[in-house]
Amino acid sequence: MAKDIAPHSFLPLPASVFHILIALADRDRHGYSIMQDVAARTDGTVQLSAGTLYSSIRRMLDQELIEELSESPDPSSTDERRRYYRLTRFGRRVAAAEVARLNALVRQARATGLVPEN
Amino acid sequence: MQAVTLYRALLRCYPAAFRDEYGEQMLLAFTDQLHDAPGGVRRAAVLTGAARDALAVAPQEHWHVFLQDLRYALRTMAARPGFTAVAILSLALGIGANTALFSLWNGVLRAPLPGVQRPEELVMLTDPAAAGAFRGRWDGRTDGARDWVTYREFEELRDSSGIFASVMASQSSLALWQARVDTGLEEVRGRLVSGAYFQVLGANPVAGRVFTADADRVETPEAVISYSFWQRRFGGRDDVIGRTLTIRNATLSIVGVMAPPFVGETSGQLPDLWVPLRMQLRVMPGSDYLHEAPPDKAMWLHLFGRLKPGVTMAEAQARANAVLQANLIAFYGVAATAERRAEYLDQRLEISQASRGASYNRAELSGALTALLVGVGVLLLIACANLANLLLARGTARRAEMTLRLSLGARRGRLMRQLVTESLVLAVAGGLAAAVVAAALHRALVVMLAEADPAFTLSFTFDTPIALVLAGCTFAAALLFGLLPAWQATATDASSALKEMGRGAVGSPMRARSGRLLVGLQLALSLPLLVGAGLLARTAYNVQRIDLGLHVENLLIARVDLRATIDDAARRDAIRQALLDRIRQAPGVRSATFSQLGLFTGAFSTRTVDVEGYTPSTAHEPETTFDVVGPGYFTTVGTRLVQGRDIQESDTQATPKICVVNETFAGQFFARRNPIGLRVTVIDNAQKTPCLVVGVAQDARTRSPKEAVQPRIFVPGAQQPAGVASPTFLVRAQSDAPIAAAVRQAIAEVDANAPLTSIRTARERLAPLTAQDRAIARLALAFGVVALALAAIGLYGVLSFGVARRTSEIAVRIALGARPSRVVAMILGETAGVVALGVLAGGALAYAASRYIAGVLFRVEPRDPATFAGAVAVLLAVAAAAAYVPARRASKLEPVAALRAE
Repeated sequence: MAKDIAPHSFLPLPASVFHILIALADRDRHGYSIMQDVAARTDGTVQLSAGTLYSSIRRMLDQELIEELSESPDPSSTDERRRYYRLTRFGRRVAAAEVARLNALVRQARATGLVPEN
Repeated sequence: MQAVTLYRALLRCYPAAFRDEYGEQMLLAFTDQLHDAPGGVRRAAVLTGAARDALAVAPQEHWHVFLQDLRYALRTMAARPGFTAVAILSLALGIGANTALFSLWNGVLRAPLPGVQRPEELVMLTDPAAAGAFRGRWDGRTDGARDWVTYREFEELRDSSGIFASVMASQSSLALWQARVDTGLEEVRGRLVSGAYFQVLGANPVAGRVFTADADRVETPEAVISYSFWQRRFGGRDDVIGRTLTIRNATLSIVGVMAPPFVGETSGQLPDLWVPLRMQLRVMPGSDYLHEAPPDKAMWLHLFGRLKPGVTMAEAQARANAVLQANLIAFYGVAATAERRAEYLDQRLEISQASRGASYNRAELSGALTALLVGVGVLLLIACANLANLLLARGTARRAEMTLRLSLGARRGRLMRQLVTESLVLAVAGGLAAAVVAAALHRALVVMLAEADPAFTLSFTFDTPIALVLAGCTFAAALLFGLLPAWQATATDASSALKEMGRGAVGSPMRARSGRLLVGLQLALSLPLLVGAGLLARTAYNVQRIDLGLHVENLLIARVDLRATIDDAARRDAIRQALLDRIRQAPGVRSATFSQLGLFTGAFSTRTVDVEGYTPSTAHEPETTFDVVGPGYFTTVGTRLVQGRDIQESDTQATPKICVVNETFAGQFFARRNPIGLRVTVIDNAQKTPCLVVGVAQDARTRSPKEAVQPRIFVPGAQQPAGVASPTFLVRAQSDAPIAAAVRQAIAEVDANAPLTSIRTARERLAPLTAQDRAIARLALAFGVVALALAAIGLYGVLSFGVARRTSEIAVRIALGARPSRVVAMILGETAGVVALGVLAGGALAYAASRYIAGVLFRVEPRDPATFAGAVAVLLAVAAAAAYVPARRASKLEPVAALRAE
């Protein structure tokens, strides 16, 4: 259902959703791994907690931005209970749209001299 | 591991579905977090972070589930428009009726005066329920508590320090005036008030100003008008300030317009204008109500005030009574004997909290309104039971869906939540529609009550208490009709449901039992409503049919106030006689007479009497009600003379003074003696007038149909030195053709300026006095019929369902040779139990509840066996009819076709 919807209709993305999309960009992850990745990439300034994370995951699954894997991608994983999530193609398009939106904003800020060109 | 236990507890904040799906993952992530955060402080930070998270996210998730359920509910509702419409409509009516009646009940009985500042500080020294006036000597014959104060007493209380911070007086009844505005005459309702009236109430005008303290010192020809009068008569134009209107002998200048919710000090009445008390003689010419002339006092004012800081109610009452006593001692000091003096001085003022203001109808309506409020509450319960039954039937239809979802792992709580949301959506839709119903119904109810009291008005305001009741009714209704069906629809396990379907039956025996129980409840609740309706209908009938002791048909009542135009008593008598003679000659008139009190006016007059051969048993002097009447009074009015003769033309100043007494008078004062020829001395102030009894008249109810007849003495007008200043002409027509125009014409021919203050038929005069009973009976009957109809629908639904459920069983019975009558008997037999239970429980309920409406009943016992039997009979008949249709359908089953369809 979500595929019939234009990616733009999701923008702007909530910060937590965008962070999760970025965390899942290079590999499939389980929940705690996403939390760790977000914290590491932001030097600990963004700490997703479990409630926010899974509330976002629930919504992103509904919106088909991500999907749940039927089995663990890591055969060495010891914990069978962990669930893994993967970015969908649609999720990737939405993330790209958000990046384009942010880029445009940054360009405008520079063009008006709000922030210096680098 | 305590932290993990705590986190598990936190997880309970999230909706069950979310918890089921992600709870384990969240717990894993949380334990990982704890693991990676060594040290007590960091671990504590993780835990508080989780708690904050739960507080922020859990409500969002609940909202998400609610939106899901809402969408689901709206889809289901749209899929069954018939059911949805019936449900919303019945809820709108049920909740709307409750809200409207609550609004009325609250407005009349509970709400503080609208538009008044800090109403809780207001106190009053007079009787809130008393409207009118009493002119004469008020002795402590009742309980000594004063209904009203005189103008002089008000002045003394106002000027005595140590009681009130501010105080005002107002005319206790609403005056009806013919006001001349521009060139047109208009009927307006007005009230005379003292200068500080608006200041004491703390009410500000929207335009202009209010009266000043000067208005209490000199005649100030000013008027303050109400907002609605401003809108109605002056189109809300600003130039109204400074315009004039003329009432009788006063030309008043409009100085202010009050703000909309303000009605004054009497709830349920909205005057068109307020006029300073000092203008009394100008706008009500004829009698001076401002000055006291011993030995009579004119008591007609309510007294309101705000106490001085630090003065308690008890202190204020004591000080006010000291002021009153000083006044009474000075007033009666010389006039009365020592014995009478003690009686006259036995008067006191009682202080009461006055946030609700005065109210003429409050006491009268309180019983009826409370009973009706309970009635509509019960009606809503019945409507809820009915909806519950409909939902139960739907639940059965949705069992397959529920079973499937449960077997796929859905939690029962989740499904119940979904179903209850559906009920809630229905209830909220019903509640929204109910607000409209309530406003309309409220207006209709006020119109009905205004039949009994034309001055009655109460606007519907959607304020906090009303909104709370509306919302409360809505949610209570949703729970009442939603919970049980939701519980039952989800109380299923896959195997039994499958078994049932295999057997070809629809729905479980448990469901049938719940349905029957609900119908039993509906029947039980309907019965008290039917009994109440029956009792109130009989009350209305009794009031209507009571033997008044006079003939109301074809009787015209016309009052002419000669006080305003003629000062001289002898000239007034001459005019009165001329009027009477001319009226008698008017076409269509059979006979005519007059009376001082008139009929059904509520007017009242008493005299002390000394009766020959009667020794009073109490310390009080014997007293009787008193009327001055014209010749042929009893013949014209249609009151039978039990003994002796009517008052005649020949009874004049020149002949011996005579009187006629009623049966109650004769019974009380003459016992078994023959009154004819015995002497009764009428004592009026110091004046004693002996007269001979020439007749005993049948008891007549001349004030109101429900009054208890009091002793009354009638004396001829021609023998009264003071005459009759404002006679009420009583005119008997030859037929039922209207004669009002002819009588009006006759009066105009004698004196074109004669102030004809009212001209009505006796029927018209009587109607308002019985209107309230009729209105309440009509409402109660409507409730009873609706309750019965709902119960019948419920019974029909349950039995139809029962028949459908057992189609195969019945078909087999018929195939095996059961006769149709046997099948009908079987189904009816099933009903008998539930109906019997309902009737028994309902009967007990009605028996217990009926005494609460005893106060509004008239000539019927609250536990009147005939009414109870009638209500039960009606209930049984309707139940039998509702049961017979499905029973008959069952007996007509075609066994082969029915079994094949399974």
